[in-house]
Amino acid sequence: MTTSFARRSLTVAVAATLALSTAGCNRGSDSGAGGEGGQPTMTLAVSTLNNPFFVQLKDGAEAAAEEAGAQLEVFDAQNDASTQQNQLANASTQGVDAVLINPVDSEAAGAAVAPVIDADIPVIAVDRTVEGAEVTTLVSSDNVAGGVQAADALAAAIGEKGTVVVLQGVAGTSASRERGEGFTQGIEEYPDIEVVAAQPANFDRTEALNVTTNLLQSHPDAVGIFAENDEMALGAVQALGDRAGADVSVVGFDGTDGGLEAVEAGTLSATVAQQPSELGRVAVEKALEAIDGAELDAETSVAVTTVDESNVADFAP
Amino acid sequence: MTERPLLELRNVTKTFGQVTALDGVNLPVRAGHVQVVLGENGAGKSTLIKMIAGVHEPTSGEVYVDGEQVRISSTAAAEALGISTIHQELNLVPSMSVAENVTLGRTPRRFGLVDRARMRRTAKEALERIGLDVDLDRKVGTLGIARQQLVEIAKALSIDARIVVLDEPTAALTRTEIEDLFTVMRELRERGVGMVFISHHLDEIAEIGDSVTVLRDGAFVDEVPASTPEPELVRLMVGRSIDQLFPRRTTARGEPLLQVEGLTRTGHYEQIDLTVHAGEVVGLAGLVGAGRTEVLRAIAGADPYDAGTVRVDGDVITPHSVKDAVAAGVGLVPEDRKTQGLVLGAAVEDNLGYATLRSSSRGVLADRKGQHQRAEEISEQLQIRLHDVRQPVGSLSGGNQQKVVFGRWVLARSSVLLLDEPTRGVDVGAKVEIYELINRITDAGGAVLLASSELPEVLGVSDRVVVMSGGRIAGEMPASEATQDAVMTLAAKEVEPDHVH
Amino acid sequence: MSTETSTRSTSPAQGPTARQRAGALLSNNGALVGLVVVCVAMFIATPNFLTSRNLLNVGVQASVVAILGFGLTYVIIAAGIDLSVGSVAALSAVASGWIVASGIPGVLGLVLGPLIGMLAGAVSGLAVAYGKLPSFIATLAMLSIARGLTLVISEGRPISMPPAISWLGSDLGPVPVPVLVMLVMFAITAFVLNRTVFGRSLYALGGNAEAARLSGLPVRKLTAAVFALSGLFAGIAGMVLAGRLSSAQPQAAVGYELDAIAAVVIGGASLAGGQGRATGTLIGALVLAVIRNGLNLLNVSSFWQQVVIGLVIAVAVGIDVLRRRTG
Repeated sequence: MTTSFARRSLTVAVAATLALSTAGCNRGSDSGAGGEGGQPTMTLAVSTLNNPFFVQLKDGAEAAAEEAGAQLEVFDAQNDASTQQNQLANASTQGVDAVLINPVDSEAAGAAVAPVIDADIPVIAVDRTVEGAEVTTLVSSDNVAGGVQAADALAAAIGEKGTVVVLQGVAGTSASRERGEGFTQGIEEYPDIEVVAAQPANFDRTEALNVTTNLLQSHPDAVGIFAENDEMALGAVQALGDRAGADVSVVGFDGTDGGLEAVEAGTLSATVAQQPSELGRVAVEKALEAIDGAELDAETSVAVTTVDESNVADFAP
Repeated sequence: MTERPLLELRNVTKTFGQVTALDGVNLPVRAGHVQVVLGENGAGKSTLIKMIAGVHEPTSGEVYVDGEQVRISSTAAAEALGISTIHQELNLVPSMSVAENVTLGRTPRRFGLVDRARMRRTAKEALERIGLDVDLDRKVGTLGIARQQLVEIAKALSIDARIVVLDEPTAALTRTEIEDLFTVMRELRERGVGMVFISHHLDEIAEIGDSVTVLRDGAFVDEVPASTPEPELVRLMVGRSIDQLFPRRTTARGEPLLQVEGLTRTGHYEQIDLTVHAGEVVGLAGLVGAGRTEVLRAIAGADPYDAGTVRVDGDVITPHSVKDAVAAGVGLVPEDRKTQGLVLGAAVEDNLGYATLRSSSRGVLADRKGQHQRAEEISEQLQIRLHDVRQPVGSLSGGNQQKVVFGRWVLARSSVLLLDEPTRGVDVGAKVEIYELINRITDAGGAVLLASSELPEVLGVSDRVVVMSGGRIAGEMPASEATQDAVMTLAAKEVEPDHVH
Repeated sequence: MSTETSTRSTSPAQGPTARQRAGALLSNNGALVGLVVVCVAMFIATPNFLTSRNLLNVGVQASVVAILGFGLTYVIIAAGIDLSVGSVAALSAVASGWIVASGIPGVLGLVLGPLIGMLAGAVSGLAVAYGKLPSFIATLAMLSIARGLTLVISEGRPISMPPAISWLGSDLGPVPVPVLVMLVMFAITAFVLNRTVFGRSLYALGGNAEAARLSGLPVRKLTAAVFALSGLFAGIAGMVLAGRLSSAQPQAAVGYELDAIAAVVIGGASLAGGQGRATGTLIGALVLAVIRNGLNLLNVSSFWQQVVIGLVIAVAVGIDVLRRRTG
């Protein structure tokens, strides 16, 4: 009786551990505690490595760290805010010299970085803001400016007139909010363009495929689509089929490999390229400056560029 | 009886849609009086109880409490009127302590927290009132059914219930536990509590009841004193006289069909040797825990065993393989049809067909049409009362549900039937029909091994009685020579191991 | 139907009246009523809804969840749960894409993908049937393991699919292939559940496993098979999903298990087991797709969409519970 119960709880425990460990971390290096002979140690907490954008961000950060002779440990939160919180708590107890956070959720990140800030460890936010906590600096692409650039690119592609629809990202994220805001600002400059629908597809390609199909039903006359990221833009391209780039122009955001390929192929009119590896590189540089005690500006902008047919060759993966 | 009843239902009728469940029933519940409600399953007893408990309201008729007309519109209303119902499925939380359960729903509080001291005091008083001695902190789930029932009664009394309704409280109890329950009931009677008591055991009526309300097919038949002789009660209940409660027809004994040799499962039973011949009913008697159920389950392949062999018609059956046992013609009618025998939500035809689902199939295809047809034939043969073989088996009465379990093995042409408490929770009329069924199985050359805690049943139905005690066979005798005393003496005997291990 | 016999308490001699028959149709198809109500509401709200093109779109958008749902229907009828279907779908697609990229013909990838799903399902099934793990735990573990393997194989990047697989996302004449696949899987599920020994045994297993066992049904084999089947269906769903996108996405179908469970439950299955039908699941998946489609057509704000979908699930299941209680 007792033994079988024990065995059963053991199997349950093993299964649970398995589930946790696979959902857990993806370590970049194997050492933890800081200060190995003056070599600075840093932690990079990434929201997810399921998305090529963040993989490139991580790669840029790792390259910069190696160049500077610093140790960088990378944690993947798999888009789970509480996982990220745990990872940060671990980092602060390990006593790293700086923490770089790419928040899963801007709001939740505030509480997550609190113990790190309390431990007087510099915190660099990357790509997304941290709400409700004073981080050392935010390294991000200028999303609002990028939104304006996207509006200009779309307007140019459709001849500055007609109806357009917008595919929104995950509701409540700063990326979605700011890009949307910038796009709205930018498109207001074109009186002959009307935004007839804005629907969420949660930054997801499959959802964008479905939502675009549906929107084309209610707005068959749409000539332009702005997607708040490239994944959704590619979903829209899929939904449009042959019409993509011909009858309907699609503009994305991020400049991922897939997005750039589509620009090259002509199905995507333009994408506003963030430079993820640049984000990672700048973030590591800022972290090193902070470790050295430099005062940093609250925000560090990394430029975004509109990539279209004319300059795609320079960005090609 | 001139005294005004505590509670009185007058001419109450209850209809559900077009079905009349109760029609013009009168029921008085007097102070210090045990009112027995007697009727077969489906006679309307549970509808009547649900009316008193506030679950259903009568469609017409009046309800009086202390001479005043009232409505019992909810269970809370019933409680407020001092009515408490002990259902067959107890309303206790197994994972909570006795004290917590007794005070459940009105847990004493202080500053928003549980006032443990007062809770224990209230619970202790309630337990003392019925002389129940259990640890207040013990989890209710660790108590036996009998004690759980008493806890529920204590709970009822702690809310000052003046009327206690007991729905088949003795169904799951042993004889001594029933005695304890009756002692408590007698004390309540002394203190002027009015009780409604439901039981299928006629002998209990004279023992604890004062008067009996008899229902049949939803209609009020009569109210008679509890001293009325049993055959008369049966006649009122069934509507005809039953000449013979155990209509056993002996058949010529044929070849041995089931042979069990040296069956042993350490800690449960040891060295069981049994033979049942074609056309024979062997009764397996013994006290609760003697190992009867375990032996039947082992023969049926439901549980593993350590040693011994089971042969059917001379062929050895693979241990712990229901599939093999079924293929060899063994069918088990388990102890508890609801948890082990039937899929209550599934259709009667499906339940009848589970054992033959594979054997009747054509390749991977189930023979649904054929199974439907055979289910109709079987239910007609076994006189299962139903509207449609496609209705859920859970909607049938207990006796008819049991016939469905039987029917499954009749359909599978099983030659060896293992019956574990085949008439538990089944009313008199259906019992006789089940005994008839046993006759038909032996007439057709089948062998029946029957385990039952009801001695009169074992003696009345079997040809031969085997008595088990403490996991061993204590002895056997022809039914014609067996008496209750002789069987009980064997059942209580300490059996010495044949050899030392 | 037989003629009157003494054993019948009511005479079935005259057949059911038209009203009874309509009532029975309604009470057997609560989800169908829900679907009709949602469709009528959408049609009133927007004329764009009731066009043949849009209805086909709804079919396409329901297809993946419906196929996952059919697989889950077997599991839920058998009183289990499979939380891993979304991850297994992604794993099948990515693994198949990876195999094809290594030079194996695309058609073979089309077959291997679902088989990999079946293998993953079988592993869960063995853990449940023979390892005695609760299905919730076993498939929760598989949810994570399959997603992890998906990321390992794909290195976190999408894998583009050959024409043999992206064909699954195209049209065959006027009808989109995903809709055809959905209908075929529906027909198979309906057939298996209604007509085969395996299907009928599942209802017994889910309704009362002990009664099924004591009747001689091979309970453990059935349990293992049910999860393998669910994995197979998840694999097929994964291929359809990859076909539609022409690429296998490592993060595809995240959270789809919840949609699939919702579809099965809206379709009238009980999580307690013993109940469920292929038709119900199909309708449940269509209800979800119609609502998402309608919300897009009506341009409902993103914040409200999640509220509406949650309410619809709660109402649909709530109505069903009420219907059962009174009926």
